[in-house]
Amino acid sequence: MIPLEYWLILSSLMFVIGAYGVMTRKNAIVVLMCIEIMLNAANINLVAFSSYYSTLHPAFGTDVSGQVFALFSIAIAAAEVAVGLAILLSVYRRYQTIDVDKINILRW
Amino acid sequence: MIDWIAYAWLIPVFPFLAFVLIGLLPKRTLGWEDGGGYAVAGAAGALVLSMLVIWDVLNGQTLTHDAPRSTWLIIGDFRIEFGIWVDQLTAVMLVVISVVGTLVVIYSGGYMHEEGVGRRRYYAEIMLFISVMYGLVIADNYLQMFIFWELVGLCSYLLIGFWYEKPSAASAAKRAFIVTRVGDIMLMAGLIILFKYVGTLDFAVLFGQGAGSIVSRGEIPQDMLTLATALIFGGAIGKSAQFPLHEWLPDAMEGPTTVSALIHAATMVKAGVYLTARTYPLLVQTPESLLFVAIIGGVTALIAATCALAANDIKRVLAYSTVSQLGYMILALGAGGYLVIHAHEAGGYAAAMFHLMNHGFFKALLFLCAGSVIHSVGTNDMRSMGGLRGKMPITSITMLIGSVAIAGIPPLSGFWSKDEVLAAVYEGGEFDPVFFALWAMGVATAFLTAFYMFRMWFMTFAGAPRSEVHAHESPKIMTVPLMILAGLALVSGFALFVGEGFMGFIERSIEDLPVTPLHESLTDIAVRIFTDPLTYVSLVLAVAGILLAYRVYYLPGFDRSVFAVGVRGKLQRALENRWYISQFYDDFAVKVWYGFALVADWFDIYVIDGIVNGFAYLGANMGATIRKAQSGNVQRYASLIILGIVVLLVFILYVLPWGGW
Repeated sequence: MIPLEYWLILSSLMFVIGAYGVMTRKNAIVVLMCIEIMLNAANINLVAFSSYYSTLHPAFGTDVSGQVFALFSIAIAAAEVAVGLAILLSVYRRYQTIDVDKINILRW
Repeated sequence: MIDWIAYAWLIPVFPFLAFVLIGLLPKRTLGWEDGGGYAVAGAAGALVLSMLVIWDVLNGQTLTHDAPRSTWLIIGDFRIEFGIWVDQLTAVMLVVISVVGTLVVIYSGGYMHEEGVGRRRYYAEIMLFISVMYGLVIADNYLQMFIFWELVGLCSYLLIGFWYEKPSAASAAKRAFIVTRVGDIMLMAGLIILFKYVGTLDFAVLFGQGAGSIVSRGEIPQDMLTLATALIFGGAIGKSAQFPLHEWLPDAMEGPTTVSALIHAATMVKAGVYLTARTYPLLVQTPESLLFVAIIGGVTALIAATCALAANDIKRVLAYSTVSQLGYMILALGAGGYLVIHAHEAGGYAAAMFHLMNHGFFKALLFLCAGSVIHSVGTNDMRSMGGLRGKMPITSITMLIGSVAIAGIPPLSGFWSKDEVLAAVYEGGEFDPVFFALWAMGVATAFLTAFYMFRMWFMTFAGAPRSEVHAHESPKIMTVPLMILAGLALVSGFALFVGEGFMGFIERSIEDLPVTPLHESLTDIAVRIFTDPLTYVSLVLAVAGILLAYRVYYLPGFDRSVFAVGVRGKLQRALENRWYISQFYDDFAVKVWYGFALVADWFDIYVIDGIVNGFAYLGANMGATIRKAQSGNVQRYASLIILGIVVLLVFILYVLPWGGW
């Protein structure tokens, strides 16, 4: 049994890596990928806490709601990637670039 | 037998109804003199009802502590009730207001004839004026009284400024309003103090029948009561034109003369004396306030009398004489309080109210006579009058009666009341020597009064005409009220000897105070007056004043140019400029107040506006700076969001627990 802390450290690392990518990478597709990493960090947390709950309260048997949430999250992430890629396609058709530094006309 | 006194609340309703009708009816239904008919009817209705009520009071009925009341406001446990309060003091005020008010309205029918469309406004305002004055004297608590008090001020403002196209009239009206406002604020402050400690402004509670005074019941500390009564008297200083707030009254001459007659004889200025008399149960608990009252009265009497010496405007002479006579009344009230405290006598109080009644009659007479003269000659300046005796016989004789009455020559009314006033002040000297000085001022005032009244009479009616005017006697509608008032001025002094006598009558209105009833019989009073050497002092001085006026202004051969040089010239100019009091106020307003206004202006521009504009500037500039953050760069937004979350987390997890949350 791997202790909870390990999972949390892993998910934190993944989240921070993803956030760093979102903040720094210029390519919008890489940014999207980084968002996926952040989402999966959250999924790991959900699963980890779900399993931790079961070990804490063995009398209640196995509780799977955390795992189910993670599944939902993965499904939604798939939909989000579809929408995100569609937006990127439209942006590319209009500006011939997906560099997020150049897509900045919505401002003061 | 109808209990008329219970209907006393209807008295103000008659003139008020007339006011509403004159104001609202279509023009062609107004009839005689554009509403004059309604005005006379309203005034006469109030007169008749007043007389019936007064008859009841004469028969010993009063409505005071047990009067019916109605509730005006309920706020939680707090109620404001309105009611009526009719006692002997109210009765005296009703006599003056009803008689003088009605005669003035009738007289207006002639005097205002040439006014044209303005008459409607005039009659409506006069009716409101009379109505609110009735309301003031029958109020049974200070709050109700204060409301009518302010309305009286408003009406006098409207009427003084009746010819508002004239700048001088407009500014005189403003002056009257603003100067009396100074007094009104003092009055209000006094009432607030009373209310704070006692919790009510009802006369019944404040004057405490049987249950003892509010001080002895421990509801108000002595020093606060002294402050409250002094402030309430401050209201009277403004309203009754006492020194140092007396300068508005001579300026109030800008209104029609009938309005002056009403203000001086019946309404406005008498309200202050009435207030002081009404507050008597409180005033006699505060000797310091009484002394203040007496000193103000004495100083006013003398200063106003001296100002009247050099005035050339006939109405201005009369105005200063009013201020001076009001000073007498206030002085008598102050001295009378000492008599109540130390000798348990109501002599001074009764004398003040007696003088108020007599003064009401002869001053209305004098003003209406002056109005008749002005109506005929077309000017106020006595220097262009003269020799009118032959052309205006009725006016000249009635005015002579009024002048003799105010000068205090027996058996006319002024003699009796002025003598009682001076006797009361002299008697007060037994308890505080200040009253001897005030008595001396009063006697000097008596001399000056006789002098300036006859100076006025000689300048107006005697000698040769000094200008080319075709004077004529006024129409009957004006001379008949003059004759009635002249009759009253002749006989009203004998009220001292009718029935139980005026003194015994008025004294019953303060019988709750420790006052022993007058044991003098009516013949005793007469004997006392005529055996007292002090009576002859004031009488001789009054006669001397008349003779001096006769020598200076009637007999030929007196060179009046001596008044123009040296010390006498300086004195003459000081008098002509009313001791520079008015000028002082003007300078004060122009220099000191203007300086203060400049400071306030600077403060407004740089501090108040500075703060407001500063906030606007801050907002605009901060916006211009912060909008740069809206760069359109998604990644920067995301970075800031993450930074924000980190800061929040650090704050919640570390800073808040560290701070104790």
